[in-house]
Amino acid sequence: MVKKKYEKPVIKKLQMGFMNKFGRGYLSHIRQAIDGVSIDKLVEMYGSPQFVFSEKRLRQNYRRLYNSFSNRYPNVQFGWSYKTNYLNAICAILHKEGEVAEVVSEFEYEKARNLGVPGHKIIFNGPFKTISSLKRALEEGAIINIDHFEEIQDIERLAQSLNKKVKVGIRINMDTGIVPQWSRFGFNLESGQALDAVKRIAYGKRLVLNGLHCHIGTFILEPKAYSLEIEKMVNFAYQIEDDFGFKIEYLDIGGGFPSKNRLKGIYLPPEVIIPSGEDFAEAICDTLLRCLRPNDFPKLILETGRAIVDEAGYLITTVHAIKRMPDGLRAYVVDAGVNLLFTSFWYKFNIEIDREVQGIPEPSIIYGPLCMNIDVVEESINLPPLPRGTRLIISPVGAYNVTQWMQFINYRPAVSLITIEGKIELIREPETLDDILGKEKLPQKLQLNLED
Amino acid sequence: MRPKYLKAVLNSYAEIFFLQGYLPGLAFFLCTFINPNIGIAGLICVLTAYLFALFLGMKDDFLSSGFYTYNPLLVGLSIGYLFKLDFLTVFFIATAGILTFIVTYSLANIFSYYFHLPVLSLPFVIVSCIAYLAASQYSNLFVNGLYVPSFFNLWESKLPLWFLGLTKSLGAIFFLPHVFAGVILLGIILAVSRIFFLLAIAGYFTGTLVVGLFTGSLSQSFQSLNAFNFILIAMAIGGVFLIPSPKSYFLALIAVVTSSLFLEAVKGIWMQYGLPVFTLPFNLITMGFIYVMGILGYPYLAKFYRGTPERTLDHYLTYNYRFPGSSRTLCLPFSGEWTVWQGIKGRWTHKGPWQYAIDFVITDEQGKTFENEGKDLEQYYCFRKPILAPVRGRVVKVVNDIPDNPAGEVNKEHNWGNLVLLYDERGFYVLLCHLLQGSIKVKEGEWVERGKLIGLCGNSGYSPQPHLHVHVQLTPTLGVPTVPFSFIQYMSPEKVYFANQLPLEGQRVIALYPDKSLDMKMTFLLDEKMDFVVLVNNVPKTNLEMKTKMDSNGEFYFEINESRLYFGKWEGTFYLYRLENKITPELKALFTALPRLPLVFKEGLHWEDFLPIHVVLGGLRKHMVLLGSSFFPSMAKVKGEYRFLSPDEISGEIKELSLKTYVKLHPIKGIERVEVNTKGQKIVLRREGV
Repeated sequence: MVKKKYEKPVIKKLQMGFMNKFGRGYLSHIRQAIDGVSIDKLVEMYGSPQFVFSEKRLRQNYRRLYNSFSNRYPNVQFGWSYKTNYLNAICAILHKEGEVAEVVSEFEYEKARNLGVPGHKIIFNGPFKTISSLKRALEEGAIINIDHFEEIQDIERLAQSLNKKVKVGIRINMDTGIVPQWSRFGFNLESGQALDAVKRIAYGKRLVLNGLHCHIGTFILEPKAYSLEIEKMVNFAYQIEDDFGFKIEYLDIGGGFPSKNRLKGIYLPPEVIIPSGEDFAEAICDTLLRCLRPNDFPKLILETGRAIVDEAGYLITTVHAIKRMPDGLRAYVVDAGVNLLFTSFWYKFNIEIDREVQGIPEPSIIYGPLCMNIDVVEESINLPPLPRGTRLIISPVGAYNVTQWMQFINYRPAVSLITIEGKIELIREPETLDDILGKEKLPQKLQLNLED
Repeated sequence: MRPKYLKAVLNSYAEIFFLQGYLPGLAFFLCTFINPNIGIAGLICVLTAYLFALFLGMKDDFLSSGFYTYNPLLVGLSIGYLFKLDFLTVFFIATAGILTFIVTYSLANIFSYYFHLPVLSLPFVIVSCIAYLAASQYSNLFVNGLYVPSFFNLWESKLPLWFLGLTKSLGAIFFLPHVFAGVILLGIILAVSRIFFLLAIAGYFTGTLVVGLFTGSLSQSFQSLNAFNFILIAMAIGGVFLIPSPKSYFLALIAVVTSSLFLEAVKGIWMQYGLPVFTLPFNLITMGFIYVMGILGYPYLAKFYRGTPERTLDHYLTYNYRFPGSSRTLCLPFSGEWTVWQGIKGRWTHKGPWQYAIDFVITDEQGKTFENEGKDLEQYYCFRKPILAPVRGRVVKVVNDIPDNPAGEVNKEHNWGNLVLLYDERGFYVLLCHLLQGSIKVKEGEWVERGKLIGLCGNSGYSPQPHLHVHVQLTPTLGVPTVPFSFIQYMSPEKVYFANQLPLEGQRVIALYPDKSLDMKMTFLLDEKMDFVVLVNNVPKTNLEMKTKMDSNGEFYFEINESRLYFGKWEGTFYLYRLENKITPELKALFTALPRLPLVFKEGLHWEDFLPIHVVLGGLRKHMVLLGSSFFPSMAKVKGEYRFLSPDEISGEIKELSLKTYVKLHPIKGIERVEVNTKGQKIVLRREGV
């Protein structure tokens, strides 16, 4: 029999039940592998911290969601929201699955084109589209959703100079009972602004309106909001078709479906409060089939990002130091912080450890590596006493983190992909000094020669 | 005489041998002038019949139907055979011509109305018998038959008996029982149709051998001129009324054998009156066989005869490969990808009268219909999925209150569960059943369009797991026998397009919905034109003007110079059907490049089609393949594979002919460019003037 390890005695507040504002009680969360590849092997190959994506999970998530829609409505197209995660490998997987690209800037447009996505398979959204990017998008036949009156003018001018009639969509916003209402994007429906935009387009005679775009918000937990959105969009589409003679070929309902992630300030676990993809699909498609006229199946475009990629991403991080705070809380310093985990501002992540650790779990804080007070990955989590070198696996982190991460204080780490075949592929190399210095210019007179 | 009439009259000569076209007709016409007496008599008889028809107010339709022209022709030939032409004989022939017209017209109507049978040459038999009987009293007519020209007889004795018999009886069809005439006729038949040639020979020898066996004397049976009946029966049954195939050939020979009894019997009676039997055995035996096969719905019965057996065969072979579906066409009654759980004549319940039914479920990549253990209905992928109307029609019955069974259990009391029965005005009912309790969104009496949401997939009735059952029936009562149907416009997960077909058990299908813009693009109004320049190896050759026309059967075609390119748009697919009249390389190129076009675009969508032999092959090879394919149908399979490169570009390949094609559709209407590459030759059709 092995002798029990000595543990320093601590005073621990008695807690009842599993759920309270400090989070769940500690349920043995151990993860030794992702898709059958051990954490040790991953770290050995590409170090810690490291983002790891699962191709299997990504494709599964996409197919599941796609099927729940395509089995309910005959004309469905998913547009991959680049801002959610525009790593080439991730985009390529989803394009191969059949998604088109949904971009919201010149940079994202160029990135999609560079990856090999043809212009007609790009949906160009966003409030800030430069003239040069609009010109390119028009020439290449991209789907453009107009955000404001100035953009109508821009596109009309470009259409004139290109001497062609171009098809465009407009973005509208509306009240679906969701707060905050995203009224800063597009034309408001209830105030009649959207109708003005249609009149303006019809009056200009250079553009052909063929689509409507709307995005009611993000992390929407109420499927009925989408029913309402669809109903209003379909009615508006028929108003346009009947009064202006345009044919609305697509209804782009944006994204906003939640992933199975725990929001801060919501106590119930995601399994309980987050409706499934099926629920959203049923609300959306049944409303479409109910409201549309016979034999009219405009393309339903969905720009779901988070619900597809979030759960396919993991971050491996390592305990670097252990501290005891003055108030008695245990604290850990790990090698990844808010510089890499933008979503930590609103998510309470699922944090797993890579090994069995003896000892009584107690509330602990996880700090990131930055020399900044805000760098807190987790304010309170029940953990047994973790020794230095323990790996923590944080998930789901696939959405928004690898686009909104910062090169701040530290380099950005490697990103790897576990393929369906179980192979480990490096899809983004860890940054080096050259990556950062490459763009910098030091004026001649500031050159330092301190060593002499 | 206008060429139109000339051609029609010449055509009637060809129709005696079931051929169409004035060229073989001209050859036969010239042939009859071996004995000018006969030739002129035939012509006079046709012309009088025609003049009389004109007098009665019947115009072109007299000439357009073979029966009206070739019956008087045969009567004229038969009289010319017997009597020397003089004023009186001409008058006699004219009278007989008018009588033939009257008899033909009445019989043709009676036969087609009561029996759905062609009148063949029965009027000729009747009128010729009457004429011969009457003539036996008219001693004023100059009998010619006594003065048979004898210049051939010198070397006839050197030829084998069977050859003499064959050629003479063949010649006897035109009342020219000479070796010389027979050889010419045989040559013409060989030139026009190898299948006819084989049938004629096989028919002749089968008949004479059987007669020889019965009578004990082959030489006697070879000498009987009436053997031409065997030839005609074999040609008519094996090559005209049935689609040429080993089975049809066999039936033709059976008919020949049975006719030998008939022939001898009739001959016995007719001889009493000094009459030849003419084509009576041929007429009655052929009609009898066709009548029986028609009633039985014999599958090889040809609905269209395309001028020669080869063309009929080509039409039917490609028709069967190209159009495997039925005319009871349904859209898939759902959206997205589903799997056939139980197909037609399935292993569980689709048996006997209910064999024409299909059950659908949704499966995952492993082929499972549920996730986790599948204990809960919610875990089944197809549960609660929308069911859409597969046809436009009226809702005649709705059941909406049968509870859904737990997984693994069935309701034996209410087999069909919750259901919707739709009546399609094309004359059939579509049943959709096992729907979710309370989910049905339509009411009895309501009109629904295709694709309308009618309910959700459930697990009610005789259903151990959620699935959708679809079948078609002819009356509104539940439980009546089912009938064949097929689905239009779907694809497999590998993106293979199916225009109209029935998926097999285990097959995954994805419903497609028509694309209005593509549909508009391929809608051609009458007299609408497309102009092309034809470039061969980049050198402009000719101009093509394609004009949309409709023929008297209501079929649409592009008129291109003298040729016709038949096309049609049916249930979401655009088809080119066939080429008629002059077949030029440009038209072949057009046909091979786009024999069908799905009126729906999906990226990577591809499809196959089978091209008619007359479109892709030429010369000797075409003839050999057509002859061979009457024995081995797969020889006629010329498969083209086509694929969308973009919403308006289609590439194609015919591997058998190492031929590659490319089509670009016009942004607004029709086709913009067609390219066909074969070994060393490139034909391009470039749209002009748009």
